[in-house]
Amino acid sequence: MMGKVTLRNLAAHKIRLVLTAVAVILGVAFVAGTLIFTDSMNKQFDDLFSRVGKNIAVDVRAKKVVGGDDGQSAQPVPASVLKALRGVDGVKDPQGNVNGYAAVVGRDGKIVGAGGQGPPQIGSNWNTDGSFDLKAGRAPRGPGEVIIDAGTAKKGRFSVGDTVGVVSSGAPQRMRIVGLIDTGNLMGASVTAFDTPTAQRLMLKPGYFSDIEMGSTGPSETQLRDRVAKVLPNGVEAVTGTKMRDENKSDVAQIMGFFRTFLLVFALISIFVGAFIIFNTFSMLVAQRTRELALLRAIGAARPQVTRAVIGEAVAVGFVGSTLGLAAGAGLAALLQAQMGDAGSGGLTFTATPVIWSYVVGIVVTVVSAYFPARRAAKVPPVAAMRDDVALPQRTLRIRVALGSLLTLAGAGLIAAGLAGNGGNPAVPVGAGAFAVFIGVAMLAPVISVPVVKVLGWPFARLMGAPGRLARQNALRNPRRTAATAAALMIGLALITTVNVLGATMRASVDEQVNSQFGADYLVQATGGDITADAAQRLKTVPGVESVSPTYEGTAKIAGQRGTYMSGDVAVIAKAARLKLVSGGTSIGADGLMVNESTAKDKGWHVGSTVPALFPDGRTEQLRVAGIFAKSDLIGSRIVAQQVYLRHTVRPSMDAVLVNAVKADAPTRKAIESALHAYPNLKVADQSSLKKDARKQVDGFVTFLSILLAMSVIIAAVGVVNTLALSVIERTREIGLLRAIGISRRQLRRMIRVESIVIAVFGAVLGMGIGVAFGAALQNALKSQGLSVLAVPYGTLGVYLVVAAVIGVLAALWPAWRAGRMDVLKAISTD
Amino acid sequence: MTNTAPSTADAHSAPGAGDFAARAHQIAKVYGRGDAQVIALDSVTVGIPRGRFTAIMGPSGSGKSTLMHCMAGLDSVDSGQVFIGDTELTGLKDKQLTRLRRDKIGFIFQAFNLVPTLTALENITLPMDIAGRKADNAWLDTVIDTVGLRPRLKHRPSELSGGQQQRVACARALASRPEIIFADEPTGNLDSRSGAEVLGFLRDSVRRMGQTIVMVTHDPSAAAYADQVLFLSDGQIVDTMTSPTAERVLERMKGFETGGRPAAPGAQEPGVAAR
Repeated sequence: MMGKVTLRNLAAHKIRLVLTAVAVILGVAFVAGTLIFTDSMNKQFDDLFSRVGKNIAVDVRAKKVVGGDDGQSAQPVPASVLKALRGVDGVKDPQGNVNGYAAVVGRDGKIVGAGGQGPPQIGSNWNTDGSFDLKAGRAPRGPGEVIIDAGTAKKGRFSVGDTVGVVSSGAPQRMRIVGLIDTGNLMGASVTAFDTPTAQRLMLKPGYFSDIEMGSTGPSETQLRDRVAKVLPNGVEAVTGTKMRDENKSDVAQIMGFFRTFLLVFALISIFVGAFIIFNTFSMLVAQRTRELALLRAIGAARPQVTRAVIGEAVAVGFVGSTLGLAAGAGLAALLQAQMGDAGSGGLTFTATPVIWSYVVGIVVTVVSAYFPARRAAKVPPVAAMRDDVALPQRTLRIRVALGSLLTLAGAGLIAAGLAGNGGNPAVPVGAGAFAVFIGVAMLAPVISVPVVKVLGWPFARLMGAPGRLARQNALRNPRRTAATAAALMIGLALITTVNVLGATMRASVDEQVNSQFGADYLVQATGGDITADAAQRLKTVPGVESVSPTYEGTAKIAGQRGTYMSGDVAVIAKAARLKLVSGGTSIGADGLMVNESTAKDKGWHVGSTVPALFPDGRTEQLRVAGIFAKSDLIGSRIVAQQVYLRHTVRPSMDAVLVNAVKADAPTRKAIESALHAYPNLKVADQSSLKKDARKQVDGFVTFLSILLAMSVIIAAVGVVNTLALSVIERTREIGLLRAIGISRRQLRRMIRVESIVIAVFGAVLGMGIGVAFGAALQNALKSQGLSVLAVPYGTLGVYLVVAAVIGVLAALWPAWRAGRMDVLKAISTD
Repeated sequence: MTNTAPSTADAHSAPGAGDFAARAHQIAKVYGRGDAQVIALDSVTVGIPRGRFTAIMGPSGSGKSTLMHCMAGLDSVDSGQVFIGDTELTGLKDKQLTRLRRDKIGFIFQAFNLVPTLTALENITLPMDIAGRKADNAWLDTVIDTVGLRPRLKHRPSELSGGQQQRVACARALASRPEIIFADEPTGNLDSRSGAEVLGFLRDSVRRMGQTIVMVTHDPSAAAYADQVLFLSDGQIVDTMTSPTAERVLERMKGFETGGRPAAPGAQEPGVAAR
């Protein structure tokens, strides 16, 4: 019987429940979309990596001495090893690989396919290991021939026989395209391949390989690995093909896992916001049906039956919402893939995971959110059926205030503890803390809403007369409802504000750092590949240039601690970075080391200490601390003498070139730029363009996060629509009365619009308050990591406040239209 | 179709006359279709005399509420004309109707008469606030004192008794000095003492202030407060009575409940509207 009541109620309140379902749909769509999208990407990579190197039984490569990603300081394998391998029984077809950076220069003089953070440009020697198939033409032979991937050829409008510029190290080389390869889909990366000597010369060093791969004539991978290991020199290791493929996969899986977690966090936020909407909607539905529920109780329904009837509705809404959300999620994933362009043309992969999670999340969230309203529904006394003015028993706000304050403080404490935390992942306590703060503030919101709404509504009441005043009173009328609606909006805006405050802080901090720490006139950096000696040489000849000084970056384990170091002409670096010396000097000789103050303090080093340093070539050297400098964000913690770097690096490559000019003006910069014209992978920057680049990067990051958070704001806007629509239904008779005594449709619509604006702006104000506090807390915690200056982007926040008001206006459109359309007679005679 | 009382015939013969605050001319209203068709008003012609207290009575379903709604511009008629003062309502757009209701008509309903978020005083001045007009303070004071609400002006409706709420509604209807006040079962939700207070107050406002009031009721003792009573049955005006008493009205009403329509409707008391 109660089941029938549930079904009839669902049918009777279609519109209200559709609005609730929208909140579920949007949240679930985000989750399902993320899961389907990342599943599809994973599948693509899995396919790729099981194809790449599928015939490799054993791979020979340099041991990772220092650990981690050695990057440019990775050691190559000497060609002599290849010769030795040929003599090992069971080794089939050993091939030396050369991998590095090589890019194709387009007809416009720029690198094809390099759009800032775009996909990588990969160069290699042409091997016949079956990784890629030759689609057209033939293999490259000699220094003047190259083959490129079909995608890059298409983008650059090149075909076999054309001559193109290829950048790897040094100035672009003119090469003839002799073939095209089909790379399948490497996420849009460009691939170029040369014959082995050319590849070695361009990307490595003649007589060296990046690694050597081989098949097997019979023995298993492990047997062959052990046999091969016997002939290898020191510093070189053999791994099975399986291990190599797994490593490749797990690298990508790790990135994808991070990406998935990242997106799911935002999906979680959306669902959290959705939960507020569902809670609010069910609360209102229960409140509006008090009398009916009392009647059920009066005629003998037990409390649990009433609760179950309401929960039953929630399950139905959750189920329908999840189903539609799942479908919308698939659409979202397809859209995301389409956005990725080349990289996402692999089609969608459907596994059971998104389906299961969609239903679990959708139904659980709906039921949990509806639980408290359902419990309250059961508390309706049967006698309410007989009374005229029925109201649900409401607990006083006192308990709420106490609980809300407690939660807010506990959350703030958790955040503080997480940020101050020693070790461990701060994301968990900080996330949980933020969650607690949101719920706590949402619980406090009814109390906060009264004074704030009074103030926000004041200008409307003042300027609009009766409709404005009525609107203000309506927003004040049920503080819990106003608060729950506003709280949903608060969450999204709090996070957007946090991101914006952090963005502004980063910009301000980078500005400050560049201003105070960047002392060179110009900095030349590579967007890919190397800066070669000839480029540095060329810079020296530019008129007006006073000094040109290359810097290097390497990795080393110094006194057991792995990390990067900077190297080059130390005096020039110190000047360029405006290093403040604490003790010692910058003339550090051939075995010198400079460290920053905090490292020196930690380790108890002082000028003259000797410390052991392990380099990627496997050798250890004693370094002498020659100088200690004050904290520098540009340099980091260590500078090592140039001679030391060169001694331990097979193929030195410049990280940047510091350029000082007689006069750093526009003509000088122009001269430098034109000197570098031949090197499309090199970029010149000065103070202002460094700041501009950093700004652009920060802005991109802020925009990206804001877009992800916008989803939760959209859900919150649906919540505002929901609240207003339900309020309009609830106030049908009042609206009828107002219409009867002469309020016009326009005035009525205005009244609802103002109520909506006031609620939305209240939510925004709450959110921004929290957001600024979060931002300040993060800045404070990350002060030592370079976020030295707290900046609050008041202009942007002002814009968001206006956006909130606009959301209010939009959310009110439909409810206001509905209210205006209401038949006066029916409205006043509604029971 | 021409089943009209003599009083209403007079109203018809003098359409421009200033003696009526509101007039209906041969209005008809049908609800539903086919078998479910209900004739709510069947060519009713009636004039509401200015400065008097008129009660409309009739059994349930007689069309009395429909008549009031049509005359007050809350509902549209299928045919015929309705006038408030000299303004014809039929054919007016919603906007003009709203303005007319706001400026020329006062309403008192059975229940839910007040906006719960506003104080008593704010409720009283609401129609003027909506119109963006300043209330006439001297008049407002008179009205407030007449209904005896001065100590309760700052109270919300939820803090007032049913009788007090209805008095606030009366004050709201009077405050803007409308051409006519329509009261729909104003005592329906009140106990007899509060009901008597409200009715006495309505009668006084007619006698002392010259207000025109039309009241729909099914309570004979409420109708007894009126200057005249119109009896409605099956969508037609079947009788009128001046200087009614509760006993006479009750007697007349019994006729509907037992025998339906009397033999010679409305013929006994001519000239109600033509004072």
